[in-house]
Amino acid sequence: MSEESIYESLLRKGVSRRDFLKFCSTSAMILGLSSSTVPKIAEALEKKERPSVVWLHFSECTGDSESVLRASKPSIAQVILDIVSLEYHETIMAPSGHAAEKSLKDIITKKKGKYIAVYEGAVPTADGGVYCFIGGHKAIDICKEVGSGAMANIAVGNCACFGGIPAANPNPTKCVGIKDILGGTVVNLAGCPMNAENFTAVVVHFVTFGTLPALDKHGRPLFAYGKCIHNNCERRPHFDQGQFVRQWGDMGHRLGWCLYEMGCKGPMAYQNCPTIRWNEGTSWPVQAGHPCIACASPNNWDDAYPFYKRMEGVPGVGWQANADKVGLGIAAATAAAVAAHGIIRAATRGKGPSDKEEGH
Amino acid sequence: MAKLVVDPVTRIEGHMRVEAKVEGGKIVDAWVSGTMWRGIETILKGRDPRDAWLFVSRVCGV
Repeated sequence: MSEESIYESLLRKGVSRRDFLKFCSTSAMILGLSSSTVPKIAEALEKKERPSVVWLHFSECTGDSESVLRASKPSIAQVILDIVSLEYHETIMAPSGHAAEKSLKDIITKKKGKYIAVYEGAVPTADGGVYCFIGGHKAIDICKEVGSGAMANIAVGNCACFGGIPAANPNPTKCVGIKDILGGTVVNLAGCPMNAENFTAVVVHFVTFGTLPALDKHGRPLFAYGKCIHNNCERRPHFDQGQFVRQWGDMGHRLGWCLYEMGCKGPMAYQNCPTIRWNEGTSWPVQAGHPCIACASPNNWDDAYPFYKRMEGVPGVGWQANADKVGLGIAAATAAAVAAHGIIRAATRGKGPSDKEEGH
Repeated sequence: MAKLVVDPVTRIEGHMRVEAKVEGGKIVDAWVSGTMWRGIETILKGRDPRDAWLFVSRVCGV
């Protein structure tokens, strides 16, 4: 642990008391906790030292680091860097080469059992793990060494959680998620990239209560991944009305209608994008007019694929086979219901702006 | 002759190693290697071209 408390660190960076309390309230909201927990969160952040974090990169694109570095609440980008003491992070640290290796060794030795390990990227296992080397060491060996001494392991982004893009068929380097290497409890902050607000919330939960939040069967925190995107989607009323985008740029697309027919995988996807959104709560993919690609689901690069094809799941057209493939019983059943519903609604929809009016 | 090795190179996206041959205080030869490979080209084979951007935009997220 570093010596400075989180609150002291924020004060030093010019964050006001008001912004600090706003941050505590936002964290409680994201975690799905009642407002009565806000004082508890505030007290913990005021008094407790910042947890040390070792952030590792394996087979990845650094998109999750970018996601964190662009975080904005309460009002500053560095708040996440202030609620944790980031001891090792290759993208933003000053030392290179031997000095970088030494700082990693020092941290995991001196703070053994007292640091949080964050992993970005999958671990390649093909050919003995030769497809990712850092400082002359294989990713798989670094993962095991750092993971064994961590007090908590957090995988950020779908690559670290489930293998992600490098694990997409045919998975040339036989990439796997961190949990497949370490076993035990790994918090999977899924998504491509993960949402920084959820990362902050997990850290706040850990600092306040000393425990990790409740996880689903895929290791994802329930507060962030407990609800189906389709059920919270702002375009849902259009789905219920049978108002679907049929072609890019058609009238429905311009009016913000449902993207299900264009391949939206919202009905199989679980994440809090519709409520938390991105970029200071500005927007999220569906709001911007693009179908959801279920980026927080395991194997989405194959199971939610093709991205621009309507989800399979029409009863009588092999939806059960699809359910086995997807391996998400509830999601697949939802998909079937959704597909049936979509057809009925499309057949019975009332008069409204149609594609024919496009030229007006 | 001294050999200089910098690995990892930090403040970049991805993983990189630099080796340099130094003679008389000057670099006379150098090798740079990307030390991570995911095979995204291989993963793209046989897929719908309309989906390609979603994969290749994730070659680098910075």
